[in-house]
Amino acid sequence: MTGIANYVVLSGVLFAIGGIGFLVRRNVLVALMSIEIMLNAVNLLLVAFNRLHAGELTGQLFAFFIIAAEAAEVAVGLAIVLSLFRIKRTVRSDEADLLKN
Amino acid sequence: MSLTFAISPFLIIAFGAMALMLSEAFAKRSNGLALGTTIVFAAAGAFAMAVWLYGLEDIEGLDTLTPWLVVDRFSLFFDVLLCLGGALAALLAGGYLPEHNLDRGEFYSLLLFSTFGAMMLAAAGDVLTLFIGLETMSIGAYALTAFRRASAKSAEGALKYFLLGSFAAALLLFGFALIYGATGHTDLVGIGAALKAGASKQPMVVIALVLILAGLAFKVSAVPFHMWTPDAYEGAPTPATTYMAVAVKSGAFAMMLRVLLTAFGDPSSMSWSAGWPPVLAWVAVLTMTVANLIAGRQESVKRMLAYSSIAHAGYILVAVVATMRSQTLAGASVLFYLLTYTVSTAGAFGALILCGRRGAEAVSYEDLSGIGRRHPAAALPFALFLVSLAGIPPTAGFFGKWFIFRAAMESGLTWLTIIAFINSVIGAYYYLRVLVYMYMREPAAGAPIAVPMRSGYVTAALLVSALLVLALGLSPTRSLDVAVQAASFGG
Repeated sequence: MTGIANYVVLSGVLFAIGGIGFLVRRNVLVALMSIEIMLNAVNLLLVAFNRLHAGELTGQLFAFFIIAAEAAEVAVGLAIVLSLFRIKRTVRSDEADLLKN
Repeated sequence: MSLTFAISPFLIIAFGAMALMLSEAFAKRSNGLALGTTIVFAAAGAFAMAVWLYGLEDIEGLDTLTPWLVVDRFSLFFDVLLCLGGALAALLAGGYLPEHNLDRGEFYSLLLFSTFGAMMLAAAGDVLTLFIGLETMSIGAYALTAFRRASAKSAEGALKYFLLGSFAAALLLFGFALIYGATGHTDLVGIGAALKAGASKQPMVVIALVLILAGLAFKVSAVPFHMWTPDAYEGAPTPATTYMAVAVKSGAFAMMLRVLLTAFGDPSSMSWSAGWPPVLAWVAVLTMTVANLIAGRQESVKRMLAYSSIAHAGYILVAVVATMRSQTLAGASVLFYLLTYTVSTAGAFGALILCGRRGAEAVSYEDLSGIGRRHPAAALPFALFLVSLAGIPPTAGFFGKWFIFRAAMESGLTWLTIIAFINSVIGAYYYLRVLVYMYMREPAAGAPIAVPMRSGYVTAALLVSALLVLALGLSPTRSLDVAVQAASFGG
């Protein structure tokens, strides 16, 4: 099953890239893209594991559900980014700093 | 009895939300929407109670829903709890939104859809439905946080909530995908059986457990994953804050209990030397201590209540750790605590809403100075809910804490109980500080004087919460008995 191991490693690397991107970059749109990379890593992992547990299509099915739900989530997220941009004229999360202790 | 009866709480919320959305689109005014929403919540809660009383044994075909949807006493308990939280938030919104010029009807549909997600989360027996429930609940909550569209604070709070919430969901999903690879199962019972059979030794499962714990800790806003909470709670309109503090948090704890006890209940994932209990114990210590210390330094009462909700998550985590030794007793103390916490917190936010009016929302300690003498009718319920949050008898909060401490002691977690007790004493300081401002301070000369608003909806919400706070505080045994029945779900 070397083939699947490769996919698992690739998916782990993608997930790490997304996670680091999310934590390091201050542009909200880049942060959104990083989350998408992380979720695509999850999808890749699920589809790869579906080969390992062949017979049922649980992994592939799960990936479709993730794609659909994330589309809905990003729609709300972009609306929030737009509403922030309309007020503050910025998409940088470090410039959204009204709320503090 | 048919299957429709068993899932009637879900159906009522879903169809009620759609009906309200339609009527909101066609009606000129959104006057009755808060009342309609409350009725939908009340009906769903009543049906959940009816299913509970009827008994699940006589309902045919219930196993055709499993593992996707597990209708058991645990999920029915949460149906009632979440509907109560949702109804209180809807009543508060009925007073708050018109007063602060935010009277747009979509608030109520979002509230109902989000509660539907939370109920699904409590009933999910499969990772797939768990994820759908989590997203349904969270997406609604993001939109509710951003509801005050003209306010930069609202948008900022929603942005932080959304980004960290999606990040947490991605962590959870990656963990679940790894578990699927290791065991071949996505249903929690199947995962649990495979891990018991020896799969839990794999390094992949350990990584998955770490990711899942981090994701769960984000969702219940435990330190060090709490950064979004104060900002989202402060930025959101207060009824949305109420909803997040009571219903979203309860739904997240339901998910946590179900996942940890059903899927990770094997000896090597659930023991004092390895697995999730020691990790959660330290998270609980951090959560209680950090939240209580920061809460004491806040100038805004709303933000203080946000930190207080983090501290309460810490107390609940103590009981979650204790479930490793006695699922029924410790689990019941979690459920009972969530009930007392729901009524006390919703009441406290409601009283804060009542103390402000258009253009002069009461948020800071200064806003509340002297209100106890000028408007005793607004200050008295506030005092009651704060006393309950502080855990002083004869209120609900006292027994909530009592049962948690007892469950932790009986599980042999003496040191954790002592830390929790010290923390609840520190916590009393900032609740009582509000009382000092309300009853013993006078507003500074020239400072704006808070005048309470008038609203039948808010009064109704306060009455219901106050009655429940006193009822649970004076005779807790019956509700605890119900919680014990709910907590003994099959592992």
